[in-house]
Amino acid sequence: MNFAIGLGLDTLSFSLSLLLVSLGLVIIFGLMNVINMAHGEFFLLGAYSVVAVQQLQLPYWAALIVAPIALALVGLVLEQLIIRHVYHRFIDTILATWGISIVLKQLIIIGFGPTSQSIVNPLPEPVHILGVVYPSFRLFIMGAALAVSIATFWVFYRSNLGLAIRGVIANRAMAASLGLNTRRMDRWTFAFGAALAGFAGAVMAPIMSVDPQMGGGFLIPAFLSIMVGGVSHLFGVVLGVGLIGSTSTVISSLDTQLAAQIAVFLLAIVIIRLWPEGLITRKR
Amino acid sequence: MMNTRYLGVGLTVAVWAGLMAVPLFADEWSVSQLGQYVTYGILAMSLSFIWGQVGILCFGQAIFFGLGGYLMGLTTLERFTWFGGSQTAGLLLATLGPALAAYILGKLLFVGRGLSGAFFAIVTLCAAFIVEISAQHIDFIGGFDGLLGVPPLMASWRAGDDMLSTNETFYVVLASALLIYLAVLFIQRSPLGVVLAAIRNNDERTASFGYRTTDYKVLAFTISGAMAGYAGALFTAQFGFVSPAVIGTALSTEVLIWVAVGGRAVLMAAFLGVVLVRSVESFLSSALGPYWLLTLGGFFVLTVVVMPEGIFGRLLRLPLPKAWRSARAGRATEPGQDPLGMRRTPDST
Repeated sequence: MNFAIGLGLDTLSFSLSLLLVSLGLVIIFGLMNVINMAHGEFFLLGAYSVVAVQQLQLPYWAALIVAPIALALVGLVLEQLIIRHVYHRFIDTILATWGISIVLKQLIIIGFGPTSQSIVNPLPEPVHILGVVYPSFRLFIMGAALAVSIATFWVFYRSNLGLAIRGVIANRAMAASLGLNTRRMDRWTFAFGAALAGFAGAVMAPIMSVDPQMGGGFLIPAFLSIMVGGVSHLFGVVLGVGLIGSTSTVISSLDTQLAAQIAVFLLAIVIIRLWPEGLITRKR
Repeated sequence: MMNTRYLGVGLTVAVWAGLMAVPLFADEWSVSQLGQYVTYGILAMSLSFIWGQVGILCFGQAIFFGLGGYLMGLTTLERFTWFGGSQTAGLLLATLGPALAAYILGKLLFVGRGLSGAFFAIVTLCAAFIVEISAQHIDFIGGFDGLLGVPPLMASWRAGDDMLSTNETFYVVLASALLIYLAVLFIQRSPLGVVLAAIRNNDERTASFGYRTTDYKVLAFTISGAMAGYAGALFTAQFGFVSPAVIGTALSTEVLIWVAVGGRAVLMAAFLGVVLVRSVESFLSSALGPYWLLTLGGFFVLTVVVMPEGIFGRLLRLPLPKAWRSARAGRATEPGQDPLGMRRTPDST
C-alpha cells in the first residue's frame, strides 16, 4: 500500500513536470507551427541557471525567478534571429531548432564542463504524507508545476490574450486582418514557451542529474506526449502526459528504466497508429 | 546557358575522377580516412534519396546503418553458426536486413492515414534512441562494447595473402559508392523518380492522380534502408568494430547535418557534404576542441536558414533528362526549389 502511494506520488510529480515542458512545446507548435527541437535545451538552460545561481551564493529560490526570465530572453533572441526566417518552411524549422539545440548544449559544455553538477536540495527534510515518508521537495515540485500549469490554462482559455492566441491558431489570416499583431504574438509565445521549459528545468534540477545530456531525456517523452494527446487542444497534452508519465514511472519502478522507455515508445506508436491526430481532436 | 547547364555534370565527373586518383599521391593514412568518408557518403546518399527526393525527413537513418554494421559483424565473426561466415553473405545480409527493417517501419508509419513529415521525423528520432539503448543491453551483440575484431575486407579470389591492402579497400568502397550513386541516379531520373518527386511536392495531388503513394513511399524507404545497411557493413569491415554509438541518435543527426550542409536534393552534394564536414573536422576538431561542435552547429543553422539548397546543391545540379526538356526547358533549369525539375511530369506540355 505504501509502495502504491509512493508510486502514485512519483507518477504525479514526474507527469506534472513533464506537463510544464510539453505545454511550452504544444503552444509553440499550435500557434507557430514550429516543432521546437531545442526545447530540451531550454530545459537544460533552466537547470543550469540553478547551477549559476548556486555559484553566485544566492538561495535556490532565486533561480525560480531567474530561469524563466533568462529563458524568455533567450527565446526572444532566437526567435528574432533564426526562427522567424523559417516559419514558412515547416521541415526546416525542425532542422534549425535542432541546430540551435546543438549550439546551446555545446555552450553549456564550454561554460560548465561536460560533467554533472551537484545541486543542494533546498528542502532536505522528508515529510509524512498519507502514511509514507516522502521527500518534501518533490511535493514542492508538484505544487509549483500544478500552479504554473493552471495559470497557463487560465491565460489560454479565460483571458483576452488567450482568446487572441486561440484566434490566431484557428485562423491566422483572419486574425491578422481583424487587427491582431500576429508577429508580436509569435515572438512572445515563443518566449513564453521557452520560459516554461526554463522554469521546469529550474524546478527539476535538484532531483535530477544535472549534466549537458539531460535535455534529451525530457524532450523525447514530451514529444511522445503531445503526439499521443493531440496538438489541437491543451487538454490533449494533459491526457498524453498522464499516459506517458504514468506508464514510464510505473514500469521503471517495477522493471528497469530501459523497459520503461521501450514500453512508452511502443505505447506511443500504437496510439499514434490508431489515432494519428492524437487522442483529443477538435470537433469540426 | 550551356555552360551552367553542364557545370554540374562536369563537376560530378571531376569529383569521381579526383577520388579515384587520390591513392596515386596520398599516403596510406589519408586514403583509409577518405575510404571512411566515402562510406559515410553512401549513408548520406541514402538519406538524400529519401529526404531530397521523396521529402521524408528521417531522423533515424543510422538505425539501418548500424543494423547493417551489426549484421555484417555477426556474420563474419561467425555468430550465426548455421549461416557460415563468408563476407559476401555478410554484405548481402547487411543489405537485405535493413531493407526489411525499413520496409516494416515504413509500413507501420506510412500506411493508412500515415504520419506527416514532422511527426515522422520525431518518431524516427525516438526509434533511434530506443534502438541505441536496447543495443547497449543485448549481450548477443556485445552490449555496451559492441562487436570487436570484425575481420577486414578479404580478397577471396587471391590465394595466400588475402587481406585487401588499404588502396584496394579504398577502391572497393569507392566502386560501391559509384555503383550505388549511378543506381540511385537512374531511379531518380526514371518514371519512378518522377512519382517520388511528385509525392514530395504534393502527396495528396499525386494520390488523386491514381498513384498509390503509400506503396511508393515504403518502396523508397526500403531502398534507402538497403543503401544505409550496405554502408554500415562496409564501415564495420573497415573499422573492425561496431558499437551502439553507430546505431543511434548521434550518427543519425550527424548524417542529417552533412546532408543539409552539402545539399539535400542533389546526391553528389550530399556525398560531398560528408567529405567536407569530416575533412574540416579532422583538421579543426583538435585545434578547436569543444568549439568545433559549436561552430558546426552554428554553421548548420546558418545553412538551413539562408541556404536550404546546401553549399554544393546548386553547383552540382544535373541537367534534366532530354526527354523531359520541353519548350519551357529554359524555365526548368532556372535556379529554383526544384533541382530535378520534377514539379512537371514529362508529358505536361
